[in-house]
Amino acid sequence: MIDPAYVTQILINGVLMGLLYSLVALGLALIFGVMDIINFAHGDFVMLGAYLTFLIATYFLIDPTVTIALTVPLFFLLGIAVYKAIIKPVLGAEPLIQIAVTVGLLMFLRNLALAIFHAEPRGVPYTVFSTPITIGPITIPLSRAAAGAVSLAVLYIVHLLLTRTRWGIAVRATADDREAAALMGINVERVYYTTFGLGTALTALAAALIMTFSRADPYLGLLYGLLSWVIVAMGGLGGVVGVLASGLILGIIESFGMSLISAGARELFLYVTFLVVLWVRPRGLFGRR
Amino acid sequence: MPALELKEVYAGYGEFRVLHGVTIEVGKGEIVALVGPNGAGKTTTLRTIMGMTTLYSGDILLNGNSIRRLPTHKRVELGLTMVPEGRRLFNHLTVYENLVAGALTRKAKEKLSDSLEFVFTLFPRLKERRNQLAGTLSGGEAQMLAIGRALMSRPSILLLDEPSLGLAPKLVIAIFDTVRRLRDEAGVTMLLVEQHVKHSLEIADRGYVMELGKIVLRGEARSLLTDERLRRAYLII
Repeated sequence: MIDPAYVTQILINGVLMGLLYSLVALGLALIFGVMDIINFAHGDFVMLGAYLTFLIATYFLIDPTVTIALTVPLFFLLGIAVYKAIIKPVLGAEPLIQIAVTVGLLMFLRNLALAIFHAEPRGVPYTVFSTPITIGPITIPLSRAAAGAVSLAVLYIVHLLLTRTRWGIAVRATADDREAAALMGINVERVYYTTFGLGTALTALAAALIMTFSRADPYLGLLYGLLSWVIVAMGGLGGVVGVLASGLILGIIESFGMSLISAGARELFLYVTFLVVLWVRPRGLFGRR
Repeated sequence: MPALELKEVYAGYGEFRVLHGVTIEVGKGEIVALVGPNGAGKTTTLRTIMGMTTLYSGDILLNGNSIRRLPTHKRVELGLTMVPEGRRLFNHLTVYENLVAGALTRKAKEKLSDSLEFVFTLFPRLKERRNQLAGTLSGGEAQMLAIGRALMSRPSILLLDEPSLGLAPKLVIAIFDTVRRLRDEAGVTMLLVEQHVKHSLEIADRGYVMELGKIVLRGEARSLLTDERLRRAYLII
Protein backbone atom coordinates (compact mmCIF):
# COMPACT_ATOMS: atom_id res chain seq x y z
CA MET A 1 0.00 0.00 0.00
CA ILE A 2 1.33 3.38 -0.96
CA ASP A 3 1.42 5.94 1.82
CA PRO A 4 -0.57 9.09 0.84
CA ALA A 5 1.93 11.33 2.66
CA TYR A 6 4.73 9.81 0.59
CA VAL A 7 2.78 10.43 -2.64
CA THR A 8 2.10 14.03 -1.57
CA GLN A 9 5.79 14.46 -0.82
CA ILE A 10 6.75 13.18 -4.29
CA LEU A 11 4.13 15.38 -5.91
CA ILE A 12 5.34 18.51 -4.09
CA ASN A 13 8.94 17.75 -5.04
CA GLY A 14 7.84 17.33 -8.65
CA VAL A 15 5.83 20.54 -8.76
CA LEU A 16 8.69 22.57 -7.26
CA MET A 17 11.23 21.16 -9.72
CA GLY A 18 8.72 21.56 -12.57
CA LEU A 19 8.41 25.28 -11.81
CA LEU A 20 12.18 25.67 -11.95
CA TYR A 21 12.37 23.66 -15.18
CA SER A 22 9.77 25.96 -16.71
CA LEU A 23 11.91 28.97 -15.80
CA VAL A 24 14.99 27.34 -17.37
CA ALA A 25 13.09 26.55 -20.58
CA LEU A 26 11.30 29.91 -20.81
CA GLY A 27 14.27 31.69 -22.37
CA LEU A 28 14.71 28.99 -25.00
CA ALA A 29 10.99 29.04 -25.77
CA LEU A 30 11.04 32.83 -26.23
CA ILE A 31 14.05 32.69 -28.54
CA PHE A 32 12.68 29.79 -30.57
CA GLY A 33 9.20 31.31 -30.80
CA VAL A 34 10.44 34.67 -32.04
CA MET A 35 13.51 33.80 -34.11
CA ASP A 36 12.77 30.24 -35.18
CA ILE A 37 16.24 29.16 -34.12
CA ILE A 38 17.08 26.42 -31.63
CA ASN A 39 19.87 27.53 -29.34
CA PHE A 40 21.62 24.29 -28.42
CA ALA A 41 23.88 26.20 -26.03
CA HIS A 42 20.94 27.23 -23.83
CA GLY A 43 21.70 24.64 -21.13
CA ASP A 44 25.34 25.69 -21.14
CA PHE A 45 24.35 29.26 -20.39
CA VAL A 46 22.78 27.79 -17.23
CA MET A 47 26.09 26.03 -16.54
CA LEU A 48 28.03 29.24 -17.13
CA GLY A 49 25.62 31.08 -14.83
CA ALA A 50 26.10 28.42 -12.15
CA TYR A 51 29.90 28.89 -12.21
CA LEU A 52 29.59 32.64 -12.18
CA THR A 53 27.22 32.39 -9.21
CA PHE A 54 29.72 30.08 -7.48
CA LEU A 55 32.63 32.48 -8.11
CA ILE A 56 30.81 35.61 -6.94
CA ALA A 57 29.17 33.93 -3.94
CA THR A 58 32.51 32.43 -2.87
CA TYR A 59 34.53 35.59 -3.39
CA PHE A 60 32.17 37.90 -1.52
CA LEU A 61 30.82 35.22 0.82
CA ILE A 62 27.24 36.09 -0.04
CA ASP A 63 24.15 34.04 -0.68
CA PRO A 64 23.93 32.74 -4.29
CA THR A 65 20.56 34.46 -4.71
CA VAL A 66 22.16 37.86 -4.08
CA THR A 67 24.51 37.38 -7.04
CA ILE A 68 21.63 37.81 -9.51
CA ALA A 69 21.96 41.57 -9.07
CA LEU A 70 25.20 41.18 -11.01
CA THR A 71 24.72 38.04 -13.12
CA VAL A 72 21.30 38.79 -14.59
CA PRO A 73 22.24 42.18 -16.14
CA LEU A 74 25.57 40.70 -17.22
CA PHE A 75 23.85 37.79 -18.96
CA PHE A 76 21.40 40.15 -20.64
CA LEU A 77 24.39 41.90 -22.24
CA LEU A 78 26.11 38.57 -22.93
CA GLY A 79 22.96 37.40 -24.75
CA ILE A 80 22.95 40.52 -26.91
CA ALA A 81 26.65 40.06 -27.70
CA VAL A 82 26.17 36.39 -28.61
CA TYR A 83 23.17 37.30 -30.77
CA LYS A 84 25.08 39.98 -32.69
CA ALA A 85 28.27 37.95 -33.05
CA ILE A 86 27.05 34.49 -34.01
CA ILE A 87 23.25 34.21 -34.20
CA LYS A 88 22.40 37.15 -36.45
CA PRO A 89 24.66 36.01 -39.31
CA VAL A 90 22.90 32.63 -39.50
CA LEU A 91 19.27 33.75 -39.12
CA GLY A 92 17.36 32.38 -42.08
CA ALA A 93 20.25 30.09 -43.02
CA GLU A 94 19.98 26.32 -43.47
CA PRO A 95 18.97 24.56 -40.21
CA LEU A 96 22.19 22.53 -40.32
CA ILE A 97 24.28 25.70 -40.29
CA GLN A 98 22.30 27.09 -37.36
CA ILE A 99 22.74 23.85 -35.46
CA ALA A 100 26.49 23.83 -36.17
CA VAL A 101 26.85 27.38 -34.82
CA THR A 102 24.95 26.88 -31.56
CA VAL A 103 26.43 23.41 -30.96
CA GLY A 104 29.82 25.04 -31.50
CA LEU A 105 28.99 27.56 -28.79
CA LEU A 106 27.92 24.69 -26.52
CA MET A 107 31.24 22.89 -27.09
CA PHE A 108 33.18 26.06 -26.44
CA LEU A 109 31.41 26.81 -23.15
CA ARG A 110 31.56 23.21 -21.91
CA ASN A 111 35.25 22.82 -22.67
CA LEU A 112 36.02 26.21 -21.25
CA ALA A 113 34.42 25.10 -17.97
CA LEU A 114 36.32 21.80 -18.08
CA ALA A 115 39.62 23.59 -18.68
CA ILE A 116 39.15 26.10 -15.87
CA PHE A 117 37.28 24.11 -13.21
CA HIS A 118 37.99 20.48 -14.24
CA ALA A 119 35.24 17.93 -13.69
CA GLU A 120 34.98 18.48 -9.96
CA PRO A 121 31.59 19.97 -8.89
CA ARG A 122 31.70 23.29 -7.04
CA GLY A 123 29.12 24.33 -4.46
CA VAL A 124 28.57 27.70 -2.82
CA PRO A 125 29.98 28.06 0.75
CA TYR A 126 26.64 28.84 2.31
CA THR A 127 23.04 29.77 1.64
CA VAL A 128 20.29 31.05 3.90
CA PHE A 129 17.98 28.54 2.24
CA SER A 130 19.62 25.42 3.69
CA THR A 131 17.01 24.61 6.34
CA PRO A 132 14.03 22.42 5.51
CA ILE A 133 10.39 23.22 6.25
CA THR A 134 8.47 20.40 7.93
CA ILE A 135 4.70 20.16 7.77
CA GLY A 136 3.54 16.95 9.45
CA PRO A 137 5.08 14.04 7.56
CA ILE A 138 6.15 16.25 4.64
CA THR A 139 9.57 17.86 4.41
CA ILE A 140 10.35 20.56 1.87
CA PRO A 141 13.87 21.96 1.55
CA LEU A 142 13.57 25.73 1.85
CA SER A 143 15.87 26.17 -1.19
CA ARG A 144 13.54 24.16 -3.44
CA ALA A 145 10.46 25.95 -2.13
CA ALA A 146 12.12 29.31 -2.78
CA ALA A 147 13.27 28.20 -6.25
CA GLY A 148 9.74 27.13 -7.12
CA ALA A 149 8.16 30.31 -5.79
CA VAL A 150 10.63 32.63 -7.53
CA SER A 151 10.27 30.69 -10.78
CA LEU A 152 6.50 31.01 -10.68
CA ALA A 153 6.74 34.74 -9.97
CA VAL A 154 9.19 35.29 -12.85
CA LEU A 155 7.04 33.25 -15.26
CA TYR A 156 4.11 35.46 -14.32
CA ILE A 157 6.15 38.65 -14.80
CA VAL A 158 7.32 37.52 -18.25
CA HIS A 159 3.71 36.61 -19.10
CA LEU A 160 2.67 40.16 -18.15
CA LEU A 161 5.57 41.60 -20.17
CA LEU A 162 4.41 39.69 -23.24
CA THR A 163 0.72 40.45 -22.93
CA ARG A 164 0.52 43.89 -21.35
CA THR A 165 3.41 45.92 -22.71
CA ARG A 166 4.21 47.45 -26.10
CA TRP A 167 7.43 45.48 -26.14
CA GLY A 168 5.45 42.27 -25.63
CA ILE A 169 3.07 43.09 -28.46
CA ALA A 170 6.05 43.84 -30.72
CA VAL A 171 7.63 40.51 -29.76
CA ARG A 172 4.45 38.51 -30.38
CA ALA A 173 3.74 40.34 -33.64
CA THR A 174 7.28 39.59 -34.83
CA ALA A 175 6.85 35.92 -33.86
CA ASP A 176 3.67 35.79 -35.95
CA ASP A 177 4.97 37.54 -39.09
CA ARG A 178 8.32 39.32 -39.04
CA GLU A 179 7.85 41.02 -42.41
CA ALA A 180 4.42 42.38 -41.52
CA ALA A 181 5.90 43.53 -38.19
CA ALA A 182 8.57 45.54 -40.04
CA LEU A 183 5.86 47.02 -42.27
CA MET A 184 4.10 48.25 -39.13
CA GLY A 185 7.22 50.10 -38.06
CA ILE A 186 8.44 47.52 -35.55
CA ASN A 187 12.22 47.42 -35.26
CA VAL A 188 12.55 43.66 -35.76
CA GLU A 189 16.27 43.74 -35.10
CA ARG A 190 15.71 45.28 -31.67
CA VAL A 191 13.00 42.70 -30.91
CA TYR A 192 15.51 39.98 -31.77
CA TYR A 193 18.39 41.15 -29.64
CA THR A 194 16.24 42.09 -26.64
CA THR A 195 14.54 38.68 -26.78
CA PHE A 196 17.89 36.91 -26.95
CA GLY A 197 19.17 39.09 -24.10
CA LEU A 198 16.13 38.33 -21.93
CA GLY A 199 16.24 34.62 -22.76
CA THR A 200 19.88 34.48 -21.69
CA ALA A 201 19.34 36.63 -18.57
CA LEU A 202 16.68 34.15 -17.42
CA THR A 203 19.29 31.36 -17.43
CA ALA A 204 21.44 33.34 -14.98
CA LEU A 205 18.45 33.72 -12.67
CA ALA A 206 17.67 30.00 -12.88
CA ALA A 207 21.35 29.19 -12.26
CA ALA A 208 21.36 31.17 -8.98
CA LEU A 209 18.28 29.27 -7.82
CA ILE A 210 19.87 25.95 -8.79
CA MET A 211 23.01 26.83 -6.82
CA THR A 212 21.01 27.07 -3.58
CA PHE A 213 20.59 23.28 -3.58
CA SER A 214 22.97 21.92 -6.21
CA ARG A 215 26.52 22.35 -7.45
CA ALA A 216 28.12 23.63 -10.62
CA ASP A 217 29.79 21.14 -12.90
CA PRO A 218 30.80 21.31 -16.57
CA TYR A 219 28.05 18.90 -17.62
CA LEU A 220 25.18 20.80 -16.01
CA GLY A 221 24.27 22.05 -19.49
CA LEU A 222 23.54 18.51 -20.64
CA LEU A 223 20.61 18.04 -18.24
CA TYR A 224 19.20 21.56 -18.46
CA GLY A 225 19.66 21.76 -22.23
CA LEU A 226 17.80 18.50 -22.73
CA LEU A 227 15.07 19.58 -20.32
CA SER A 228 14.61 22.86 -22.13
CA TRP A 229 14.35 21.30 -25.58
CA VAL A 230 11.83 18.77 -24.31
CA ILE A 231 9.71 21.50 -22.73
CA VAL A 232 9.85 23.68 -25.84
CA ALA A 233 8.96 20.74 -28.09
CA MET A 234 6.05 19.87 -25.79
CA GLY A 235 4.59 23.29 -25.23
CA GLY A 236 6.93 26.06 -26.22
CA LEU A 237 4.66 27.54 -28.85
CA GLY A 238 1.84 27.85 -26.34
CA GLY A 239 3.45 30.87 -24.70
CA VAL A 240 4.29 31.08 -21.01
CA VAL A 241 1.29 28.91 -20.10
CA GLY A 242 2.48 26.15 -22.44
CA VAL A 243 5.97 26.27 -20.95
CA LEU A 244 4.59 26.15 -17.41
CA ALA A 245 2.29 23.20 -18.14
CA SER A 246 5.05 21.23 -19.86
CA GLY A 247 7.56 22.00 -17.11
CA LEU A 248 5.14 20.82 -14.42
CA ILE A 249 4.35 17.62 -16.31
CA LEU A 250 8.05 16.83 -16.67
CA GLY A 251 8.83 17.71 -13.04
CA ILE A 252 6.07 15.50 -11.69
CA ILE A 253 6.84 12.54 -13.97
CA GLU A 254 10.53 12.82 -13.12
CA SER A 255 9.81 12.99 -9.39
CA PHE A 256 7.61 9.89 -9.43
CA GLY A 257 10.03 8.05 -11.71
CA MET A 258 13.03 8.81 -9.53
CA SER A 259 11.24 7.97 -6.28
CA LEU A 260 9.37 4.85 -7.33
CA ILE A 261 11.57 3.35 -10.06
CA SER A 262 15.16 4.50 -10.03
CA ALA A 263 16.82 7.70 -8.90
CA GLY A 264 19.64 7.23 -11.37
CA ALA A 265 17.47 7.23 -14.47
CA ARG A 266 16.58 10.93 -14.44
CA GLU A 267 17.33 11.59 -18.13
CA LEU A 268 15.53 8.40 -19.11
CA PHE A 269 12.20 9.70 -17.76
CA LEU A 270 12.68 12.96 -19.65
CA TYR A 271 13.37 11.16 -22.92
CA VAL A 272 10.50 8.72 -22.54
CA THR A 273 8.03 11.51 -21.74
CA PHE A 274 9.31 13.44 -24.75
CA LEU A 275 8.95 10.48 -27.09
CA VAL A 276 5.46 9.65 -25.83
CA VAL A 277 4.30 13.26 -26.27
CA LEU A 278 5.75 13.48 -29.77
CA TRP A 279 4.16 10.17 -30.64
CA VAL A 280 0.70 11.16 -29.42
CA ARG A 281 0.83 14.86 -30.38
CA PRO A 282 3.57 15.46 -32.95
CA ARG A 283 3.01 19.22 -32.86
CA GLY A 284 3.32 19.39 -29.09
CA LEU A 285 0.69 19.83 -26.41
CA PHE A 286 -0.02 23.38 -27.50
CA GLY A 287 1.04 23.01 -31.12
CA ARG A 288 -0.10 25.68 -33.50
CA ARG A 289 1.89 25.08 -36.63
CA MET B 1 6.94 68.64 -54.86
CA PRO B 2 5.35 65.16 -54.98
CA ALA B 3 4.72 63.41 -51.66
CA LEU B 4 6.37 60.27 -53.02
CA GLU B 5 8.61 59.93 -56.01
CA LEU B 6 10.32 56.94 -57.63
CA LYS B 7 13.12 57.98 -59.98
CA GLU B 8 14.38 55.46 -62.54
CA VAL B 9 14.18 52.63 -60.02
CA TYR B 10 15.90 49.34 -60.85
CA ALA B 11 15.15 46.73 -58.18
CA GLY B 12 14.55 43.06 -57.54
CA TYR B 13 15.43 40.19 -55.24
CA GLY B 14 19.16 39.46 -55.13
CA GLU B 15 20.09 38.39 -58.65
CA PHE B 16 16.48 38.33 -59.80
CA ARG B 17 15.84 41.72 -61.41
CA VAL B 18 12.21 42.78 -61.60
CA LEU B 19 11.95 46.56 -62.04
CA HIS B 20 13.67 48.17 -65.00
CA GLY B 21 13.65 51.93 -64.58
CA VAL B 22 10.33 52.68 -62.88
CA THR B 23 9.39 56.34 -62.41
CA ILE B 24 6.26 57.15 -60.44
CA GLU B 25 5.01 60.32 -58.74
CA VAL B 26 2.31 60.45 -56.10
CA GLY B 27 0.99 63.91 -55.18
CA LYS B 28 -0.28 64.87 -51.75
CA GLY B 29 -3.93 63.86 -51.25
CA GLU B 30 -4.06 61.79 -54.44
CA ILE B 31 -5.08 58.22 -55.08
CA VAL B 32 -2.71 56.86 -57.70
CA ALA B 33 -3.61 53.48 -59.22
CA LEU B 34 -0.89 51.10 -60.34
CA VAL B 35 -2.33 48.46 -62.65
CA GLY B 36 -1.01 45.78 -64.95
CA PRO B 37 -0.97 42.03 -65.51
CA ASN B 38 0.29 39.49 -63.00
CA GLY B 39 4.06 39.46 -62.73
CA ALA B 40 4.43 43.01 -64.04
CA GLY B 41 6.21 44.10 -60.85
CA LYS B 42 3.43 45.98 -59.03
CA THR B 43 3.99 44.27 -55.68
CA THR B 44 7.75 44.57 -56.13
CA THR B 45 7.30 48.31 -56.67
CA LEU B 46 5.46 48.64 -53.34
CA ARG B 47 7.97 46.43 -51.54
CA THR B 48 10.80 48.51 -52.98
CA ILE B 49 9.20 51.69 -51.62
CA MET B 50 9.12 50.00 -48.18
CA GLY B 51 12.75 48.87 -48.45
CA MET B 52 12.11 45.14 -48.69
CA THR B 53 13.90 44.44 -51.97
CA THR B 54 17.36 45.00 -53.43
CA LEU B 55 17.58 48.46 -54.96
CA TYR B 56 20.26 48.45 -57.69
CA SER B 57 19.95 52.04 -58.85
CA GLY B 58 17.57 54.97 -58.90
CA ASP B 59 16.14 56.81 -55.95
CA ILE B 60 13.02 56.99 -53.78
CA LEU B 61 12.05 60.39 -52.38
CA LEU B 62 9.59 61.00 -49.58
CA ASN B 63 8.63 64.69 -49.44
CA GLY B 64 11.80 65.42 -51.39
CA ASN B 65 14.18 63.47 -49.14
CA SER B 66 15.86 60.26 -50.25
CA ILE B 67 14.84 57.22 -48.18
CA ARG B 68 16.73 54.63 -50.22
CA ARG B 69 19.18 53.77 -47.44
CA LEU B 70 16.65 53.57 -44.59
CA PRO B 71 15.46 50.27 -43.09
CA THR B 72 11.74 49.47 -43.34
CA HIS B 73 10.80 50.53 -39.81
CA LYS B 74 12.44 53.96 -40.27
CA ARG B 75 10.38 54.51 -43.42
CA VAL B 76 7.25 53.78 -41.38
CA GLU B 77 8.36 56.37 -38.82
CA LEU B 78 8.59 58.89 -41.66
CA GLY B 79 4.98 58.27 -42.62
CA LEU B 80 4.92 55.41 -45.12
CA THR B 81 2.87 52.28 -44.46
CA MET B 82 1.77 49.35 -46.56
CA VAL B 83 -1.22 47.05 -46.40
CA PRO B 84 0.46 43.91 -47.70
CA GLU B 85 -1.08 41.45 -50.12
CA GLY B 86 -2.92 38.70 -48.29
CA ARG B 87 -3.40 41.04 -45.28
CA ARG B 88 -0.66 39.42 -43.18
CA LEU B 89 -2.45 39.99 -39.88
CA PHE B 90 -0.91 38.90 -36.59
CA ASN B 91 -3.27 35.94 -36.25
CA HIS B 92 -2.41 35.02 -32.67
CA LEU B 93 -3.00 38.57 -31.45
CA THR B 94 -6.42 40.05 -30.78
CA VAL B 95 -7.97 42.71 -33.02
CA TYR B 96 -7.08 45.33 -30.42
CA GLU B 97 -3.48 44.08 -30.14
CA ASN B 98 -3.13 44.13 -33.93
CA LEU B 99 -4.14 47.77 -33.90
CA VAL B 100 -1.70 48.57 -31.08
CA ALA B 101 1.02 46.74 -33.05
CA GLY B 102 0.36 49.20 -35.86
CA ALA B 103 1.02 52.15 -33.54
CA LEU B 104 4.36 51.27 -31.93
CA THR B 105 6.41 54.03 -33.56
CA ARG B 106 7.31 56.97 -31.34
CA LYS B 107 5.07 59.38 -33.20
CA ALA B 108 2.07 57.04 -33.40
CA LYS B 109 2.29 56.08 -29.72
CA GLU B 110 1.18 59.51 -28.51
CA LYS B 111 -1.88 59.49 -30.76
CA LEU B 112 -2.94 55.92 -29.89
CA SER B 113 -6.37 56.71 -28.44
CA ASP B 114 -7.19 59.18 -31.25
CA SER B 115 -6.14 56.65 -33.87
CA LEU B 116 -8.18 53.88 -32.24
CA GLU B 117 -11.24 56.08 -32.27
CA PHE B 118 -10.64 56.95 -35.92
CA VAL B 119 -10.33 53.30 -36.94
CA PHE B 120 -13.32 52.20 -34.86
CA THR B 121 -15.43 54.96 -36.42
CA LEU B 122 -14.31 53.89 -39.89
CA PHE B 123 -14.90 50.19 -39.15
CA PRO B 124 -17.42 49.77 -36.30
CA ARG B 125 -17.25 46.00 -36.80
CA LEU B 126 -13.68 46.00 -35.47
CA LYS B 127 -14.82 47.61 -32.24
CA GLU B 128 -17.35 44.81 -31.71
CA ARG B 129 -14.63 42.24 -32.28
CA ARG B 130 -11.79 43.97 -30.46
CA ASN B 131 -11.05 41.07 -28.12
CA GLN B 132 -11.30 38.36 -30.76
CA LEU B 133 -8.17 36.75 -32.23
CA ALA B 134 -7.39 38.18 -35.66
CA GLY B 135 -7.07 34.66 -37.08
CA THR B 136 -10.79 34.06 -36.48
CA LEU B 137 -12.09 37.05 -38.48
CA SER B 138 -14.01 36.70 -41.76
CA GLY B 139 -12.35 37.82 -44.99
CA GLY B 140 -14.03 41.22 -45.04
CA GLU B 141 -13.30 41.91 -41.37
CA ALA B 142 -9.71 40.78 -41.81
CA GLN B 143 -9.25 43.28 -44.66
CA MET B 144 -10.78 46.03 -42.52
CA LEU B 145 -8.29 45.17 -39.79
CA ALA B 146 -5.38 45.14 -42.24
CA ILE B 147 -6.30 48.66 -43.38
CA GLY B 148 -7.09 49.81 -39.83
CA ARG B 149 -3.78 48.48 -38.52
CA ALA B 150 -1.88 50.36 -41.23
CA LEU B 151 -3.77 53.58 -40.42
CA MET B 152 -2.70 53.29 -36.76
CA SER B 153 0.81 54.47 -37.66
CA ARG B 154 -0.72 57.75 -38.92
CA PRO B 155 0.73 57.38 -42.41
CA SER B 156 0.99 60.34 -44.73
CA ILE B 157 1.16 57.82 -47.57
CA LEU B 158 -0.58 54.47 -47.60
CA LEU B 159 0.43 51.73 -50.03
CA LEU B 160 -2.34 49.23 -50.71
CA ASP B 161 -1.51 45.88 -52.31
CA GLU B 162 -4.60 44.16 -53.71
CA PRO B 163 -6.95 45.16 -50.87
CA SER B 164 -9.96 43.56 -52.58
CA LEU B 165 -8.29 40.21 -53.31
CA GLY B 166 -10.43 37.23 -52.38
CA LEU B 167 -13.42 39.27 -51.24
CA ALA B 168 -17.05 38.82 -52.29
CA PRO B 169 -18.25 41.41 -54.88
CA LYS B 170 -20.25 43.36 -52.30
CA LEU B 171 -17.20 43.64 -50.05
CA VAL B 172 -15.03 44.68 -53.00
CA ILE B 173 -17.31 47.68 -53.50
CA ALA B 174 -17.14 48.44 -49.77
CA ILE B 175 -13.33 48.39 -49.77
CA PHE B 176 -13.13 50.75 -52.77
CA ASP B 177 -15.61 53.02 -51.04
CA THR B 178 -13.43 53.03 -47.92
CA VAL B 179 -10.34 53.91 -49.96
CA ARG B 180 -12.16 56.82 -51.59
CA ARG B 181 -13.44 58.07 -48.24
CA LEU B 182 -9.94 57.91 -46.73
CA ARG B 183 -8.80 60.36 -49.38
CA ASP B 184 -11.89 62.60 -49.38
CA GLU B 185 -12.52 62.71 -45.62
CA ALA B 186 -9.13 62.07 -44.04
CA GLY B 187 -6.78 63.36 -46.75
CA VAL B 188 -4.73 60.17 -46.89
CA THR B 189 -2.45 59.89 -49.94
CA MET B 190 -2.56 56.43 -51.49
CA LEU B 191 -0.79 54.29 -54.04
CA LEU B 192 -3.18 51.50 -54.97
CA VAL B 193 -2.26 48.23 -56.66
CA GLU B 194 -5.34 46.39 -57.88
CA GLN B 195 -6.63 43.63 -60.12
CA HIS B 196 -9.92 45.48 -60.49
CA VAL B 197 -8.59 47.93 -63.07
CA LYS B 198 -11.91 49.63 -63.81
CA HIS B 199 -12.91 50.10 -60.16
CA SER B 200 -9.54 51.48 -59.19
CA LEU B 201 -9.29 53.93 -62.08
CA GLU B 202 -12.80 55.14 -61.25
CA ILE B 203 -11.76 56.26 -57.76
CA ALA B 204 -8.15 57.20 -58.60
CA ASP B 205 -6.88 60.62 -59.64
CA ARG B 206 -4.11 59.31 -61.82
CA GLY B 207 -2.89 55.94 -62.98
CA TYR B 208 0.17 54.05 -64.16
CA VAL B 209 0.10 50.91 -66.25
CA MET B 210 2.94 48.51 -65.72
CA GLU B 211 4.18 45.65 -67.89
CA LEU B 212 7.31 43.52 -67.48
CA GLY B 213 8.85 45.80 -64.89
CA LYS B 214 8.32 49.03 -66.83
CA ILE B 215 5.73 51.79 -66.85
CA VAL B 216 4.11 51.59 -70.29
CA LEU B 217 1.30 54.09 -69.87
CA ARG B 218 0.52 56.93 -67.49
CA GLY B 219 -2.04 59.66 -67.19
CA GLU B 220 -5.23 61.01 -65.65
CA ALA B 221 -7.37 58.14 -64.40
CA ARG B 222 -10.32 59.38 -66.45
CA SER B 223 -8.38 59.45 -69.68
CA LEU B 224 -6.87 56.01 -68.99
CA LEU B 225 -10.38 54.64 -68.59
CA THR B 226 -11.09 55.64 -72.16
CA ASP B 227 -7.67 54.70 -73.56
CA GLU B 228 -8.19 52.27 -76.39
CA ARG B 229 -5.08 50.17 -75.65
CA LEU B 230 -5.93 49.78 -71.99
CA ARG B 231 -9.60 49.06 -72.67
CA ARG B 232 -8.64 46.31 -75.04
CA ALA B 233 -6.15 44.78 -72.59
CA TYR B 234 -8.08 44.93 -69.33
CA LEU B 235 -11.54 46.41 -69.40
CA ILE B 236 -13.46 44.74 -72.13
CA ILE B 237 -13.16 41.05 -71.52
